[in-house]
Amino acid sequence: MSHPNIQTKIDAYLMSLRRALGSLPPAQVEEILREIRGHILERAEAAGELDEKRLVAILKALGRPEDIAPLYEAEALLERARASWSPLLLLRGALRWAMVSLAGFGAFIVGLSGYGAALALGICALLKPFMPQAVGFWWGNGIYAFGVADAGEPAAELLGWWIIPVALLLGAAALILTTRALRRLLRLARFRPAVS
Amino acid sequence: MTSKPHPSESADNWEAQVRKGWLELAILATLWDGKHYGLEILRRLEHSSDLVVAEGTIYPILARLKKDGLIASEWVEAETGHPRKYYWLTPIGRRRSAAMAGFGLRFISRIGSLIEPLASEDKSK
Repeated sequence: MSHPNIQTKIDAYLMSLRRALGSLPPAQVEEILREIRGHILERAEAAGELDEKRLVAILKALGRPEDIAPLYEAEALLERARASWSPLLLLRGALRWAMVSLAGFGAFIVGLSGYGAALALGICALLKPFMPQAVGFWWGNGIYAFGVADAGEPAAELLGWWIIPVALLLGAAALILTTRALRRLLRLARFRPAVS
Repeated sequence: MTSKPHPSESADNWEAQVRKGWLELAILATLWDGKHYGLEILRRLEHSSDLVVAEGTIYPILARLKKDGLIASEWVEAETGHPRKYYWLTPIGRRRSAAMAGFGLRFISRIGSLIEPLASEDKSK
């Protein structure tokens, strides 16, 4: 135990675990490190005369820090996302979930297209005063479009300046509906740690 | 050219999935008779199952079971010098483990009779 090389190896393992746990609350990181440290020390004591080879075997049996840390993190990120109304956090949670399951991938696509639509509608409303001819709702004369387009034929445009409140309203609806849908979907998510 | 997964590779993956599915119940089962800390839980798992491949994976599972309210924990100073984190089942955890165990046993006994003839030809035992 007193061998400097051995202490350095344990410290290095715990340091890289700390780094990998980066985004968790500090108090939780300390608690995790304390528990893992206890595990290593106790395994080391049970090994009797501890040499470097034994320690390497103990750490190997424990698993790589970069494999263990995500198991904590995925849960924590999801936990925060579920309770949040922030589109960015919700999307990050869904992306994380998407990495481990097809259902998560579906949730991520829902989030991406919902927020994408909200953003596009907002941009429409924003651009209308600057490019009144290019933003509109065209229905007829072979052109069916909502948003920013090079329609050319002004007669078929239906909304005029009304497109600003309409786009804002639809955009807000997309934002709210997507947020609610993601919150609900993320509640279904469960991470099972990879065992092998 | 698409590379097909090697047959034994997908078998390994299947085994990993089975382990994954049972590990949570196995951890709860080790706590059925009282308080234990991480390494004790691991030793009990080693003794009675081959579920754990990487030891470090049980700690995140314990953290999640605690968050779900199935187990509780406390730090206890040990004479060895470093404190140990002890876990035990909450009343909800006891009920949930009992229900999982009941389902697990029924599941094994039903599928057991179906797959038994196959296993008698298994040479890897």
